[in-house]
Amino acid sequence: MRSRIAADRLRDLQRITDAALAYLPLETLLDELLVRVVEILGVDTSALLLLEDDDTTLVARAAKGLEEEVERGVRIPVGRGFAGRIAATRQPVHILNLDEAEVVNPLLRERGLKSLLGVPLLVEGSVLGVLHVGTLTERAFDADDTELLQRAGDRAALAIFSRLTERERGLADALQRSLLPRLPQLPAVSLAGRYLPAAAARLGGDWYDAFALSDGRLGMAIGDVVGHGFHAAAIMGQLRSGLRAYALDGMPPGEVLERLNRLLRQLEPGRTSTIVYLVLEPHGGLLTVATAGHPPPLVHPVDGDARYLELPSSVPLGAARHVLYDEQEFELAPGSALLLYTDGLVENPGEPLDAGLERLRATVQRGDEDLERLGDAIVDELLPEGPGNDDAALLVVRALPLSDTLLAQFPAEVESIPFMRRLLGRWLDEAGATAAEIDDLSLACAEAAANAIEHAYGLAPGVVELRASASNGGVAVVAVRDFGSWRPPRGTHRGRGLLLMEGLTDDVEVIHDDEGTTVELSRRIGEEAA
Amino acid sequence: MSFEHEPRVDYRNAVGVVTLTGDVDIVQAHALRNRLLGVVRNEDLGLVVDLTEATYLDSVGVSILFELAERLSERQLRLAVVLPENGIVQRVVTIVNLASVAEIRNTVDDALAAVES
Repeated sequence: MRSRIAADRLRDLQRITDAALAYLPLETLLDELLVRVVEILGVDTSALLLLEDDDTTLVARAAKGLEEEVERGVRIPVGRGFAGRIAATRQPVHILNLDEAEVVNPLLRERGLKSLLGVPLLVEGSVLGVLHVGTLTERAFDADDTELLQRAGDRAALAIFSRLTERERGLADALQRSLLPRLPQLPAVSLAGRYLPAAAARLGGDWYDAFALSDGRLGMAIGDVVGHGFHAAAIMGQLRSGLRAYALDGMPPGEVLERLNRLLRQLEPGRTSTIVYLVLEPHGGLLTVATAGHPPPLVHPVDGDARYLELPSSVPLGAARHVLYDEQEFELAPGSALLLYTDGLVENPGEPLDAGLERLRATVQRGDEDLERLGDAIVDELLPEGPGNDDAALLVVRALPLSDTLLAQFPAEVESIPFMRRLLGRWLDEAGATAAEIDDLSLACAEAAANAIEHAYGLAPGVVELRASASNGGVAVVAVRDFGSWRPPRGTHRGRGLLLMEGLTDDVEVIHDDEGTTVELSRRIGEEAA
Repeated sequence: MSFEHEPRVDYRNAVGVVTLTGDVDIVQAHALRNRLLGVVRNEDLGLVVDLTEATYLDSVGVSILFELAERLSERQLRLAVVLPENGIVQRVVTIVNLASVAEIRNTVDDALAAVES
């Protein structure tokens, strides 16, 4: 008889949880569940506590007859008190007389509870939280009561787990999308990035970023905030914004990290993060690096073996108050690939770190020219079974070798000028021009571009095209073309622009046609070398 | 307003010395112009602009120097510019003939002497 009553009660419970699962918001579902548990078990209170992301604290999320528990945001350390013991042992706990038990939460006594029964919320062997009921008069809960409460707890756990993972996944996706940068498009530089969330859909703190600095150089960073969950993800977002802000203000890498260290200690004392920040000058391939305890970037030179950059040991951001982050300089010749990564890519449980590093090195060594395919190959090779327990991030960059004839288009905006100048500088360098010739021609080209931008288009968006070629006789011809309507230069500094073009090159020709205007600059190059 | 390569300003007696670093160009021009025009104090005799640490100077940067010289001369003040002995910045200053409106020297001390004389 008793077991049929129990079976009826369970069916009741099942109905409410199953129906609720389909459409109720999680909070409403839990409330409904607790109401039912109170009714079916004939108790005075019920409460549900969930484990925080850090796995050390239970927080009251829903309650019936004990609403203050939620209102006060009661927090119980795992392992202590009634609920803490249930979470720690993963076993039901029954207290017949509260007066004789250790209890952390003063509310239970204030409310005048006498007997308590609690069960863990378990999913796939891990604890999600605790469900407990209480009575104002002494009650000896029996095995049926415990089983019923455990069944209710299991249903709640499943519902919570699916909602949490769904919500976390949704949020993780949204956060990931919003925090992953749109990689900049620079002429003759190719970039590819990958972010792999951890298997358990827990948010991680890995991130990367790449952006064009206003002087035409490329800034790149990758970092790993210690910890998991939304909080770590939020800090990662703040660090990323901080880094960009300092970098765009023109600070060198070491100083950027020093400021980020102060920022992190201010925002979040006790939290640490590794990071490496690099600035690449595509012309000449000068790479300036500062690192804060991050695994070293990997370089694959165009005609050599892939190797890790040798960087001095350093402390992570947040670990010490006054830290000086040194800068190291390297050469990244055109065609070479540079790879930044986080430890989630190379760390495997039960394997020394060196094995993962060597596997990454070997993969890059025989890797594809195309960076998107190289990125895919690295993920396939290093994480063959999909994401592990940790998230992982990856950023690859390559300064592409330039062809004999340079051809590139830029938005007709002042901000394009430094990029044009540097691209032309790089091409002239490869064509054998001396440093002074590069300076002169780049400046003349910038003046021609400024003319086009200021006078050809007015306020309408347009394009400026840069062409460069060198004859066998060692004469470089640089053409800057716009597709707007010609108007004579106005203002004295444009007049000086023409004066500079003439003074810095051997010949300047301005050609108007139906489509626009071309300024052609010629200059003999390689004179000192000849 | 903040911009890259913030100019360093130092006052030697009655003369301001502004050191420009990095690229002095169309991208930085707007912020730089406002900054430079605010450097001269009422009691100053003139201004020294040190370009020895500048890596680049384009026609817009040059125009700011011409405007500065004009504004100073309206108040009977003098502009001296310190240049390295060679390099792109020196070539640009020579081509546009900045010497027609400013004293050109190779050291800050010489430039100070030129302004104070």
